[in-house]
Order: sequence, then structure tokens, then C-alpha cells
Amino acid sequence: MSVLRMVNATKRYRGAANESDTLALRGFTYTFEEGEFVALVGRSGCGKTTLLNLAGAMDFPSSGEVWIEDQLTSGLDDAALTRLRRTRIGFIFQFFQLLPTLNAVENVELPLLLSGAPRARERAMERLEWVEMGALAARMPHQLSGGQMQRVAIARALVHNPKVLLADEPTGNLDTSTGNVVLELLRRAAAEHGATVLMATHSAESTAVADTIIHLRDGVIEEVRRAACTG
Amino acid sequence: MHGLKLFYRAIARPLVREPARSLLTLAAITLGVAVVIAIDLAGSAAAGSFRSSMETLTGKAAFEIAGAGGVKEEVLAKLSSLPLPLRFDARVEEYVRDVKSGTTVPLIGIDLIAHAQRGVVLGEDTPISILDTANAAWAGKDLGLRTGDPLQIVVQDRLETLRVAGVFADSGEAQGPIRAIVLDLPVAQRLTHRAGLLDRIEVSMPDSLLASQSEASVRHAIEAVLPPGVELREFGANLEANRKMLGAFRWNLRILSGIALVVGAFLIYNTVSVSVVRRRAEIGILRALGLTRAGAQSLFLAEAAAFGLIGGAIGAVLGLAMAEAAVGVLAATVNALYVSSTPAPVVLGVGHIATSLALGTAVSLLAALAPAREAGGIAPVEAMARGRRDYDVRISASRFALTGAALIAVGTALCWLPPVDGRPLFGYLATLLLIPGTALLVPALVNALNRVTRRRIRGVLGVEAMLAFRSLAGSLRRTSVLVGALATAIAMMASVGIMVGSFRETVMLWMDTQLTADLYLRAAAPASPGASPLMDASLADSMELLPEVAAVDRFRTMPIQMDGLPASFGFGESRLMLEQGRTRFLPGEDREAILRKLPTGPFVIVSEPFSRKHSVGAGDTLSLPLPGGTMNVTVLGVYSDYSSERGAIYGDRHVFEPRFPNKAVTNIAVTLQPGVSLTEGERAVESLLAGKQVLLIENRTLREHAMRIFDQTFAITWALEGVAIFVAVMGMAGALVALVIDRRRELSLLRFLGASKEQVRSLIYFEAALLGLISNAVGLALGFGLAFILIYVINRQSFGWTFQFHWPGWLLAGALTLIYLATLASAWFPARTATRLNPIEVIHEE
Repeated sequence: MSVLRMVNATKRYRGAANESDTLALRGFTYTFEEGEFVALVGRSGCGKTTLLNLAGAMDFPSSGEVWIEDQLTSGLDDAALTRLRRTRIGFIFQFFQLLPTLNAVENVELPLLLSGAPRARERAMERLEWVEMGALAARMPHQLSGGQMQRVAIARALVHNPKVLLADEPTGNLDTSTGNVVLELLRRAAAEHGATVLMATHSAESTAVADTIIHLRDGVIEEVRRAACTG
Repeated sequence: MHGLKLFYRAIARPLVREPARSLLTLAAITLGVAVVIAIDLAGSAAAGSFRSSMETLTGKAAFEIAGAGGVKEEVLAKLSSLPLPLRFDARVEEYVRDVKSGTTVPLIGIDLIAHAQRGVVLGEDTPISILDTANAAWAGKDLGLRTGDPLQIVVQDRLETLRVAGVFADSGEAQGPIRAIVLDLPVAQRLTHRAGLLDRIEVSMPDSLLASQSEASVRHAIEAVLPPGVELREFGANLEANRKMLGAFRWNLRILSGIALVVGAFLIYNTVSVSVVRRRAEIGILRALGLTRAGAQSLFLAEAAAFGLIGGAIGAVLGLAMAEAAVGVLAATVNALYVSSTPAPVVLGVGHIATSLALGTAVSLLAALAPAREAGGIAPVEAMARGRRDYDVRISASRFALTGAALIAVGTALCWLPPVDGRPLFGYLATLLLIPGTALLVPALVNALNRVTRRRIRGVLGVEAMLAFRSLAGSLRRTSVLVGALATAIAMMASVGIMVGSFRETVMLWMDTQLTADLYLRAAAPASPGASPLMDASLADSMELLPEVAAVDRFRTMPIQMDGLPASFGFGESRLMLEQGRTRFLPGEDREAILRKLPTGPFVIVSEPFSRKHSVGAGDTLSLPLPGGTMNVTVLGVYSDYSSERGAIYGDRHVFEPRFPNKAVTNIAVTLQPGVSLTEGERAVESLLAGKQVLLIENRTLREHAMRIFDQTFAITWALEGVAIFVAVMGMAGALVALVIDRRRELSLLRFLGASKEQVRSLIYFEAALLGLISNAVGLALGFGLAFILIYVINRQSFGWTFQFHWPGWLLAGALTLIYLATLASAWFPARTATRLNPIEVIHEE
């Protein structure tokens, strides 16, 4: 079943006074299925992050359409987009982006608190247990290692059972073994929770866990490879 | 040159990119400097004509001879017969009202014949015609009169018409406008009812005399011919004493005006701290590329110096404008309390500009020292390490609290020390220690609050409140500085509010005890501080015969010098004070016994300020300078009095009046018979006033007038408080903008996590609300402490007054609510900035 559908999505950034516009994404069309783990690869500036932002309802395409389940994002106002993010989108970042003034469990429950969801603490603890961080729930971010912080970030991204999980270079700031743990967690998120995972990465190793690898070049799809094809 | 480039790239450019924050910081320091300069300029201008034409019309003399109740003319004759080449200039002085302009003008009587013989003339083209002095007056050019004009003046309780015989433009050393009326001595004596009496004799001596004789021997020769009660003193001694009192008043204003600057310093500290924290990585890179530790420090000190210099320059100009606005109010206070003078023009000199620049720079540099040192201590590796963006300077709340407690303890101990040269220096120092002491307690307080509310705040106020609180607790240094700045301003407002409120309440209660009569009369001529015009005493005798009148109190007051300090001596009906008044004495003194004994001999009571200034109490003996010689009197008690900080001595009329040749009075208080209405009483009394220039004032009007002077005196104080609060609130806005800019990653992240714009806006408002709440609480607590110091240390040591502690609840509640609302309003712009952040750009930058 399709969770996220992008039809001819183009994103143009207006250039400065004497500069021409930049086309970050050009006519991107793809349908992401439920539980699909997609790796977006390509050089810096190929449009990976722009694609994630469009998919996360953080930005609108300059032309074309982005559908999250049955919602066309370009038809929504700011409040509706916020609601969409609260219920259907989860974000994971390269630099973890935990709030330094909140401890691990408070960071995880934050999306639930912002949306006013019930049983926030209980659900946050469940997610922390799921990423095997339950014992460190009361630790502040500066008391955690990079891998631990990213696990907390994954728990936070999954705490509201999003349909789409967007990860921007989630292992970019981690060593290989810690990075592998994080990738495994993302893999499990897709498998166990049915979340569609879009992961932007530079690392060829990271793509090994993906069902689909989309190669982007200058804002257009250069190649789509399915795990089944790669064996 | 390279340093300048580096400064431009690392410091100036980022400041220009954040104009709102930079301008707010600049405005804070500018206003702080402007207020200090304005108070100094306005203070100088208000007292500018202090060395007025009254004092210097005939140039500077060496000594002056004066005595309570005047100096008899025979003394002048004796002095003139001394075998010394001295010059004696006799003077009669009085303040009169110019009917045409309605203003107060000094009237000076000098011996015009003697002056003319010496070649001194008043008015360039108007040589004095000796025969034409019967009702001739010479008018200072700023009175706007021309030769030949009639001049109507109210002298004491009469209207007199003179003719302008000439206009003079130069009055010796007088500064400021030339506003005086000069008469020949006999004319002035006649008009002021001082036949045969002089107010002062100025003594000038040629320099050649000092070559042959010592000053002491000259003094001795003069003093040998002076009768008892008449003294020889340094020329302008009276002026000097007045200047000293005015100096204390101006000192207090200066201290108050410094508050805005202190608040500004807090904000400079905050700005530079933010710069250091934010540019940690840049500094790390520059350090790695070869920037020295001192170089890193200098960059941030230069940032502060730039703020200080620009702020100082604008502050000087703004100060001039503010001084123009304040000089009128200040001059009115100086006139009411210290000396009759006309405001001089406000002049911004090179010295003021230099002071302004130096003040702005010095305060900014001092405030920036700590954060600049921190910048110097940044290790390149640490600062450049990725993933350390969440760095916030962690401070030891407990160590700060201990230091704060120690400062408060030292400050409290200082309150017990005596004044230095009549100035409450230790009191000032105590306030200076209490302010940083309390600010240092803030981190511990915020931590404690955070612990207490940690679990509950979200449930009660929502997730935005929780995030706001955590954010404040997470950046304790910045929070503490902001709370410190706003709390200082609030504390000063609260403490001055409590002090003025207590003073006002005490004065009102005091008036209840003093003003018990129904009607009061005084001569219509203007009173000067410490001296009142005289009225014919027969007026009181006629009033006593009116059937509507139950009692008449005749009161006479005059300025005297005691131990070289100005004071006032007065006498009235102590019987009425016993029967009707409720004058309060120091604890332990028996009011009734004192007042019963007062009319029975050479006894006096002294006011509390007098008692403190002269260290005099019950049982002590005073040598009272009176006409005809000094009189030894015994002090029976010390009474509460708030009419003058000079200090007053009061005795019974029947004991002291015989010593005065002239039976005039300065005030008459009339108590009406029971059942007689105020209107009936007034009508009856007015029937006796025909043809007299006497003011009849109802009890209520007199109180209102007194309170008007009181409120006018403190108007400038409130204005200063207002500026300090304005600076603090503005600083809060600037700091919140900085907070938003600094935490844009967090705020953007929240948007990624599902926060709506409204939630981000609420978060900023909650931060402002919390900062305001903590600042109000800390400010109020500190304000109470400062109020105690102001009331029981600074005021008591400066002016000798004790007032009852009164807590003006409504006023404070209103002011605090206003400040709180202003703090919330200050979050509008930062909140708008926060909601307009582009989360994608911000997170991508990271």
C-alpha cells in the first residue's frame, strides 16, 4: 500500500540577485510503499535532503505533488502540516538533535507532549526499551555516547508510530559498529512497525540494509535498485 | 590594521547582521550614560545660579559679619574706626515677589553712595544720582525692565511701588541670569522693616595688608569690636554650608542615576557572553590558526568598547536633551529645599563629553571582562570538536550562592558603620554589595525552582512552560544575568517606592500632629529655604479678639548658624502645642513634661535632624546666637520634624520674644471656636487683612501644598527609576532576541517534532513570563533589603530623618504588574522572530 507518493516533484530555490535559480529536485516521481526501506544516495547537493524535507511536510514542492497517504501537502496550511507531522512523520538527524535540557525519556516523549497525546511517559518508556535504552532514561544528553544519543533519537522518531520515518545521514557521525546498530534499528522499525523509512546517506555500507536504493544526481533519479535485484 | 580586519570579520559583521539585538544593547548603554550625564548637567544648571547675585554683587570679599536677627548699624561705625585699611560693605537682603512677572527676585540693599564714591556704578549709562534714591531701584537686565518703568513688589506683607532708575547687566562674579533688584541701603532697610539693622557686612582687605599682618591678627582686631551674638566668618560660609547640603542631595541623585548604568552593564555582560558562547567554534578556529589568547580576549573587549564608545557619544547628546527636560523640576526642588536660585542654561562641555565617553567605555569594558577572559580560555580542539554545539557555560550555583551570601553578609554589617564626613558612604557600599550578592543567588534559586517544579509544571502549564523552564535552567549564566538586570531595576524601584511611600506616610502623620489649627497666615512675599518674610504682630493681636477665634499661635522662625551649619530657630506658643498639638518626641521622652517645662525658662526642644547633625540630646546645653548676644539654653527633648533637613530649634515665645527688638511674626495659626464654620472663620479673619499682602491658607490647602512639594521633590527620582526599568525591559527584549537566535536550532527542531508556530510563540512568551516572575520576586526581595538601608541608614545619615516603615502595597503591585506586562510585551518581537525561523535552513546549517 502506498504511504508516500511524489509526482513530478520539483524544488527550485531562488538565487541571489545576480545568480540563477537552483533546481534542487527535478520532476521526482516515486511511490513509497508501507514498510519499505529506501536509501537515497548521491553526492552532496544532489537533492537528498530536499527530498526528505518534501516528504516530511516541512516544505512544499515548487511544482508537482507530494501525497502523504491521502493528503496532498501543497493544499495544506501550516497548522494542517503541523498535524500531519505530529501523526505521520518521524525525523532522525545526523547530529542526533536531542534537546540538551531534557533527559532521554523527556526527549522521547516530546512529540507526544507537543501533540497532546495521552500516556506520553509510558509510551516513551516503551520506545526507549525497544531501542534498549530504558536503563538510561534519566540520563541527560551530555551523559550519553553518540550511539546512545542516536538510539534515543530513533525512539523519539518512532514514539508516535509514524507512517514515514525520515533519516538524514543517521550514521554519519558514528563509528561503523555503532552505525550498524542504528541501521539495524531502522530496519526493525520498517519491519516491526510498518514504517516507510527514507534514509539519506553517503555510505555504501549503509545501503546494504535498504530494500530500495535510489541514486540521485543533480536532482533527478539516476537509478533505482531493488534489494531483490541486487541479490 | 590586521586586528581591525579581524575585529570587523569576527565581531562587527555578526553584530550588524543582528541589528535588533545590537541596537537594543546599544540603546541600553546609551540610556544608562545619558541619565548620568543628564542628572549631572541638570543638577549643575539647577544650582548654577547658586552663587547668585545676592552673594556676589560687590565682588568677592574676605570675610563677612553676621548675627541672628541682624547686625546693628553701630557695629559698622565701630568697624570703620579700626586702624586697618579694610573695606566694609553693609547689606540688607530679602526675597520679594515681582508683581508683574509673579516671580521671586532677590532684593539687595547696598550703600550706593559708598559704591559710587569708589566708582562702582550699576548700569553703564546710568550713573547713580545720589539725590534720586528715595524709591529708586536698579533692576537686573533679565527682569526685562527699562529705566523709568514702575516696579511693583511684594515685600513681606506689603505691596510697594518703586521706579526703575537703571538697569544693570553685570553683577560681579554672578553666574546665570541677572535677576535682582538693588536699592540704596536706607531704602531697603525701610522697606524690609530693618531700621538700624544690617543682614551682613562684607569685609574686603587689600593683599598688601596680609604682607604686614597675619590673617589671624586681622580677624582678632575685627572680632574685638563685635558685640556678642555677632560673628566673623569666612565669606560665603553660609553659602558653603548650603552648597554642602545641596551636594548631598545631588550625590543621592547621582547614585540613583547610576542604577540605569548598572543595569546597562548587566546587559553588556549578557551581550558579550552570548557573543563568546556563540562564536566559540570560530574562536577555536582562529586560535588554531594562530590567534593568541590575549588576541581572543581583545576581540571581545573591543566589542564592548565599541558599544561603550558609541553609547557614550550618543549618551552625551541624549543626556543634554534629558537635562533640558529635567532642569525645571530639579530647580524647583533646589528652590524649595535648599537655596533660592534661578536655573542656569544647560551647557554640555567638553568635560561632559569626555566623561560620557569614558563612562560608557569603562562600564562596558568592566562588564565584558569576565566573558572576554572566558573567550581567551577557549581551547582550539575543544571548540572545534563537532557535536559540542550544545555547549553552555556551566556554572557552579552553590559556589555563586556562597559568594552571594558572603557579599550580603558584608553589606549588612556595613550598615552599622557611621557616616563619613556626613555622607552615608557605607550605606551606599552596602547597597552596591547587596545587588551583586542577590544576583549571585539567582542560579541556586532557579535550580531549586526547577527541582521543585520539575514534575508539576508540565501538568499545570503545559509542555511549552516545561520547555521554557528547562531552557532557562539550562543556561543559568544568561538567565542569572537577565534576572539580575531586571531585578536590580525592580529592586531600586521597589526600594525607592517603599522609602518614598514610608516618608510620605510619615510626613502625612506628622502633619496631623503639627497642623492642628484651622487657618494659617503668612506674608505674601516669597519665603526662601530657612527664612520666611515677617508680618506685623498686631495682626495676631486683632485676631485674638475675634469672636470666631478660639486661639492664635504666633510663630517666628529665622535662619541661624550652629557649629558652622545652617539651622533654623523658632518660637511660638508652647501652651498651644501642649493643648492642641500632638508633637511626637523620641521614645522614652515625656511629651507633656517637656512641653510644660518649656515656657518656664531658657529651654528648647530640637528636631531630630538637628539632634543627629549636632549630636545633641535631652539635657545638653546650646549657645544660641540671638540679637544682643548668645543665650545658653538647655535641650529638653528631641521631636520628630520633617519640615527641614537643616534642623530646627524651638522655644517658647514668652521666653525668647523679649530678645527681639522687632515683634514681628512669620506665621500665624488660627484655631476657630467650636461650631464656627471654615467659611465664617475665613471671612472674619479676612476682614482684618485689608491692604495687607498676607496669604490666608486653610489647613487642607496647606497640607496639599506640602504634599505637592514633597511629590515634586521625588518626581525626578521616579523618572530615574522609570529609565532604569525601561533599560532593563529593553535589555530583556534584546536578550530574548539573542536567546531566540542562539536557540534557533532547538526551536527549529521542535517544528520538525510537531510543534506548531503557536507553541513556539508560547514557549518564548513563557520564557519571558518566567524571567519576569523570577525577576519580580528577586527584585521585590532585594527591594525590601535596599529599602531598609535607604530608610534606616542612608536617609538617617544624610538627612537625620527617621520614618516609619510603610509598605505602599497598591503602588508596588501596580508598578510590578506594569513591569511584568512590559516584560511580556518585550517578548513580542523575539516570539515573532522565533516563529519566522526557517527550520529547514537552520537544521541544514547545523
